[in-house]
Amino acid sequence: MTGHRRLEELLRAQAGDAGCTAGEEILDAYVELELAGEDPARVFPGTAIHLRSCPGCQADHDGLLEAARRFADVKPR
Amino acid sequence: MEAGRDRRAVDADSRRWVERLLTADHPQHERAAAELHGLLLRVAHHELSRRRGRLRWIGGPEFDDLAHQAADDALVNVLARVDEFRGLSRFTTWAYKFVVFEVSSKVARHAWRRQAPGPADLAWDRLPDALAPRPGDRLEQRERLEALSAAIGELTERQREVFVAIALNDVSIDVLALQLRSNRNAIYKNLFDARRSLRARMAAAGHPVVNEDEIA
Repeated sequence: MTGHRRLEELLRAQAGDAGCTAGEEILDAYVELELAGEDPARVFPGTAIHLRSCPGCQADHDGLLEAARRFADVKPR
Repeated sequence: MEAGRDRRAVDADSRRWVERLLTADHPQHERAAAELHGLLLRVAHHELSRRRGRLRWIGGPEFDDLAHQAADDALVNVLARVDEFRGLSRFTTWAYKFVVFEVSSKVARHAWRRQAPGPADLAWDRLPDALAPRPGDRLEQRERLEALSAAIGELTERQREVFVAIALNDVSIDVLALQLRSNRNAIYKNLFDARRSLRARMAAAGHPVVNEDEIA
């Protein structure tokens, strides 16, 4: 990453950021839209902004996306 | 919470999970709870492996124990909140969210107990080597970095601690929250405010910072 880009990432703070708590509530719905090939940023714009800036929520998002993809469609027997 | 979309039609599998887990007197309740626990355990193992970088010192038995604790706690949460399932996702995706959060929180607690951030991780001294001005940098870049250094010095104490720890020294946001007896949301707010303040100060000094994906 160039110094310029690194600085932009370091100072990323975009208006409309929904914050951690709002994202936690809807993270499953957000991930489901991604798995369906839809753009979750259209439905949850504030969370899309937040996930680009918050390392903790980003890690949770990546984990849930991978889990939902890998362990999908399990029916109760 | 973001408004999002209206409730979707709940799929048949999700409905079946909810019916069986909602009340303990359903004939298949225990079996469904055991099945879900097995799934949560697999997700916990997978998620712990994914975060292995922050748990390098943990051995096999302790790793398994952590996965079991996360799955157990997630199952308790899921069973207590089944009636809150709104059908915005498949039931399993909703349930996996609880175990991912449990793993996230347990990994942070382990990392904090093992190696809590020290004063040096939070104290402002100078820009890290990766960012510091270099002899070959153009004058403009050197001035930008000097403006950033000056602006960091003008943050409030809490904003500076949080920005320095997370943005400059790569301390985990959840580990920092434990160290400062706070929570992720409050620490993120400090980080956000620090970044806004730094951007404003840099703009005032003639060095505006604009992210490419914010221009549109």
